[in-house]
Amino acid sequence: MIEINGLTKIYKLSAKKKKELKTNKNVKIAVNDLSLVAEDGQITVLLGPNGAGKTTTLRNVSTLLTPTKGYIKVNGHDTVKEAQKVRDSICFLTNEIKLDEHFTVDYLFTFFGRIKNLDDATIEKRKKELFETFDMSDFKDKRIEELSTGMKQKASIVVNLVNDPEVVIFDEPTSGLDIVTARSVLDYLKKLRNEGKTVIVSTHIMSEAEKLADKVAMIIGGRKVIEGTIPEILAKTQTADLEDAFFKLYMENNCSEKGDKDE
Amino acid sequence: MNKIALIVRKELYRVFGDKKMIMGLYVIPVIVTVAIYVLIGKMTSVMTNDIEQHTSLVTIANATDDFKDAVENSGFSQNAQINYIDDVTYADKKASLDEEVKNSDMDLVVCLSADFEEIADEYAAGGSVMPGIDIYYNDTNNYSSKAYSVFNNTVLETYKNSLLTERYGDVDYLSVFNINTENICKESMANTQFIRMMLPYMVIMLLFAGVMSVGVDAIAGEKERGTLASMLISPVKRSEIAAGKLIGMAILSSISAVVTTASMVLAFAFMGSDSTLSGIGFGGVSFSALQIVELLLIMLALVLFYVSLVALVAVYSGNTKAASSAISPIYLVIIALGMVTMFRTGTDTPTYLYAVPVYGNALAVGDVCSGELTLVNFLVSFVGTTAIAGILTALVTKAFNNEKLMFNA
Repeated sequence: MIEINGLTKIYKLSAKKKKELKTNKNVKIAVNDLSLVAEDGQITVLLGPNGAGKTTTLRNVSTLLTPTKGYIKVNGHDTVKEAQKVRDSICFLTNEIKLDEHFTVDYLFTFFGRIKNLDDATIEKRKKELFETFDMSDFKDKRIEELSTGMKQKASIVVNLVNDPEVVIFDEPTSGLDIVTARSVLDYLKKLRNEGKTVIVSTHIMSEAEKLADKVAMIIGGRKVIEGTIPEILAKTQTADLEDAFFKLYMENNCSEKGDKDE
Repeated sequence: MNKIALIVRKELYRVFGDKKMIMGLYVIPVIVTVAIYVLIGKMTSVMTNDIEQHTSLVTIANATDDFKDAVENSGFSQNAQINYIDDVTYADKKASLDEEVKNSDMDLVVCLSADFEEIADEYAAGGSVMPGIDIYYNDTNNYSSKAYSVFNNTVLETYKNSLLTERYGDVDYLSVFNINTENICKESMANTQFIRMMLPYMVIMLLFAGVMSVGVDAIAGEKERGTLASMLISPVKRSEIAAGKLIGMAILSSISAVVTTASMVLAFAFMGSDSTLSGIGFGGVSFSALQIVELLLIMLALVLFYVSLVALVAVYSGNTKAASSAISPIYLVIIALGMVTMFRTGTDTPTYLYAVPVYGNALAVGDVCSGELTLVNFLVSFVGTTAIAGILTALVTKAFNNEKLMFNA
């Protein structure tokens, strides 16, 4: 379970960043007082436009960033005070990850398995299971540079799932994936959910949220504007679908469409 | 398995598991290094031999019979094609002969004063006019320079002595003391000027090139690809990740340095085996066991400094392109520091300068080559460089905990 309580993340802006963002402010509030609970056996979707603060939230959950205010607990462990314990139980996936092209998938899988304290027998068992699930057995001995774009993306996902984590954090799971790979990733996330794992993903694609989410938290301008199951959100916003709900909330929150790419 | 060892093994496998990386990092630099030095040596040897064997083209105007005898007796004519002309012909051809010397079609033109012997006799009898010999040569033409030098030292010396003997009976009367000259340099330093000048510079430069080629991608590349984030959320301490990366880089760079240095030594040995090259300063340098240990320790300290420096730049850079751009000017500074030590004079260098990374190491390597490295200077160089490398390593480890640097946050 992930418990996010009053998460606020403020970045100091360098002169270069201020110029890029065309602002005179010295700080940027990426996430503002966000609270959320992601339960075991559920897929929680953070839904919002680019620059809303989704990636920053997930990076805080995965211990890569430290909250400016508030705290996060993963399976009861504080992400700052007990970061190593949190890291034992999570994986953080993003389609921005590009594996080093000099290695084979098999080598990287074994490397990350050992780094995550798995014994060789467990690594081999997980290798067999994940390579079959993602249809990668024929490619395991090929270097990353020899794989197609879709296979590279699958490889980076598979490598990060080596430790069979209890908590799966996935930033934009289908971004940049081909349709076949995207489908296999979404199916796998559902499988993990059915196994009782905690799954939290971010997306700006409404249809993806509708397919995956047990619970949706809409984030706009760093703030959570609504949280609940899809029927609950539609009822609260009195809209017919998630897209209409989002735009209604978006207009109410009077947000500019200018997305901040540096979440 | 120890996490640091795991990361080190991965860094090593990254290179040794890829034939292209092995070729690029170790094989091609060695081939290029050996080829360049062997080529330089061969070309220098060929050029020197060519100059030695060249038949000098010489025109001598107004040569007396005695002068012609001196030309023959001195041996100069054995390797020269000499054209004797008279005063009238010389006056007609002077302009064209000058042009031939300028254009390297003629190596040497010598013109004795008209009535040389009469004027010489008159001068010997108390006259005021001394006979003259005009010599025209081209300093930019190696053949011409050599012809002038040999002519001066053989023919003119022989002719002068014959005239003095004729005038005073025994030329020894003109001598007032004997000069005995003996070159008493250390045996190990004989004919090694070129190598001793080049080796520190090459070591300084090649070590950095080796570190640069593996260091940028190992850190900035992983940051850019996002794979560093995967490691940072694994149950490994960030200090262990930094240590694994730095040790891996140091091993790869050290192998690169050792391989390249060994190839240079081989190339130098090849050059030293050529007697022609040895005679002009390309002789091979030989090291004692102690000197080899000193050299390796200095190189190790330098590798640690370079690795920590490149890692620090890479960790502060957003991507490999930015890291490479930032490292390029540093490389130029390192080349400049190495070059400064090539032109050292014999004056004593203050000990504290040996603590300056790169410059101090170059001084120490140079001293090892000349057998003049003192224990104090060695320790100052080794400890100074290692200490600064340690400080930089601490900064790299600290940077791994900096989310702004790691994620451009």
